Amino acid sequence: MKLALIDYAIIAVYFLFVIGIGFLLKRRIKTGNDFLMSNRSIPLWITSLAFISANLGAQEVLGMAANGAKYGLYTVHFYWLGAALAMIFLGIFMMPFYYGSKARSVPEYLKLRFDEKTRTFNALTFAVMTVFSSGVSLYALAMLMQTILGWDFDVSIWMAAGVVLVYTFLGGLTSAVYNEVLQFFLIVLGIAPLVYIGLIKAGGWEGIVHHVEDAKLHVWKGLDNPSHNPMGVDLFSITFGLGFVLAFGYWCTDFLVVQRALISRNLNEAQRTPIIAAVPKILMPAIVILPGIVLLALQKQYSGFELPVNANGQTDYNMVMPLLLQKLYPNGILGVGITALIASFMSGMAGNVTAFNTVWTFDIYQSHIKKNASEKHYLYVGKATTIVGILISIATAYVARGFNSIMDLLQLVFSFVNAPLFATFFLGMFWKRTTGHGAFWGLLSGTTAAAFAHGVTVAEGKGGWITNIHEFYSGTSQAFTIAWISFIVCFIVTALISLATKPKSNEELVGLVYSLTPKQYNKSKVWYKNPLWLGMLVLLVTIIFNIIFF
Amino acid sequence: MNKLFDLRFVIGLFFLIVGLLVLVYYLISTSNKGTINLFCGIVFVLFGIIMLLASRVKTERRENL
Repeated sequence: MKLALIDYAIIAVYFLFVIGIGFLLKRRIKTGNDFLMSNRSIPLWITSLAFISANLGAQEVLGMAANGAKYGLYTVHFYWLGAALAMIFLGIFMMPFYYGSKARSVPEYLKLRFDEKTRTFNALTFAVMTVFSSGVSLYALAMLMQTILGWDFDVSIWMAAGVVLVYTFLGGLTSAVYNEVLQFFLIVLGIAPLVYIGLIKAGGWEGIVHHVEDAKLHVWKGLDNPSHNPMGVDLFSITFGLGFVLAFGYWCTDFLVVQRALISRNLNEAQRTPIIAAVPKILMPAIVILPGIVLLALQKQYSGFELPVNANGQTDYNMVMPLLLQKLYPNGILGVGITALIASFMSGMAGNVTAFNTVWTFDIYQSHIKKNASEKHYLYVGKATTIVGILISIATAYVARGFNSIMDLLQLVFSFVNAPLFATFFLGMFWKRTTGHGAFWGLLSGTTAAAFAHGVTVAEGKGGWITNIHEFYSGTSQAFTIAWISFIVCFIVTALISLATKPKSNEELVGLVYSLTPKQYNKSKVWYKNPLWLGMLVLLVTIIFNIIFF
Repeated sequence: MNKLFDLRFVIGLFFLIVGLLVLVYYLISTSNKGTINLFCGIVFVLFGIIMLLASRVKTERRENL
């Protein structure tokens, strides 16, 4: 792929703007709270778009296009089943606890609800996950730039890390959030024309129906048996494993996304943030999954659309988006498309770094190292943590370069940690008898069970490092199964240990547990200001989409 | 200066500049210009103008209060 001067000019304008936003917001940052929590002053439309953009990283843009080609329309389960429901649940049921308790982070909520050790366990695992995830984003960006543009790996890494460092260091979370919104529009407007041209070239939806195998054009049909659908999953794994455990585990407990709602101006806006974000989320498959399906149709009709093979001799589905950009975009709009890809990587990286510095500063440094320091002190710690986070990300990117499997491992660790965490939250919020000891040992057991399940099962050559007692049709199927196993183990262990240990008194749990929290009835008569009505509407649209593409 | 803090202004300005760059490139390039550049350039410019106008409306409303 050869870029022209115009393409470089567009990339330069983008870099100029993201750095400029950091410089502009610098004067507004006075305290640690401004830097790490945006002083809870961000408008609803920005928090909603940032909520979805924090998740719109490299995995989303490149990975979902890849899944679109590999699994077809079944991939939309990650949106219509694995996101919308959980986002509505977060807004209606969980946000009142998060926002109402005044917790500044998810681990801090765990401290209020349970105890210090549960908070520290979650803070440490989350801090490690985010900073490593940020590094893997950086590695993937540098690899992509090297493969499709011939850019130097080292230059790509240091340049991207430098830009993210400048705007997160100067403007903190507000700067990251503002850039996420800019990146959202850039990704949508930069990739939407690609989908449009691709669809026209493929002969429209009719062309797709004619040239793509029927098994890849349904959402629910074929889930009766793993061998009947390209994803190799069964109905239970996808509804319980993805739709309940993984989806709720990620969207309701991962501080990276929850943080975007916590910086809202009031509880009502915090509740509506994930629900409004669910609207673009359920439409996002048109931008990120459809390109993969369009490519399948183009492969049948034209030559030159074949995907390359990777070092293992397997089809490299991650090249779906770059291949389409190369084949369908002329210079000019190509610069916008490449900038959109760069934006997605930087958005993912900045989201992780800002979540990392908040958790490190508030949940590890403030609670274990220096308790009663000044706001100015925590501002400096937050800024120093940003630099350290970026440096660890760079180091991780280089480690990832040497070990290809680190990316798979990281994804797995995510499911090890998030799936049991939702069981802890679910019990903690809806069963007042749940204790800190139960939560801590439940989390530890759930994570251990996930690691064990991965060690005794194999999918696509991965796992089975203890022995092999079961082989899955696909890695996705294995991930869904591991998720529900770890959820159930955590749920049972937490419940049993809670019954054997002393719970907190009712007074201590007011505002933290559903049954002990005064119900707040939304008096707003305007439907779009009422989280419940808004949630119902989004749910209805999601159900209609599922029926249309059944 | 307040206007610069309005995210709609920043986004509007960004897309206006990018749209104009793409349009100018379409007009001056002699080969492989692609009609898509013309359409996308127009859409980006329009989107940029709408965002700039939205930020202006909000600023005026704030001043009137």
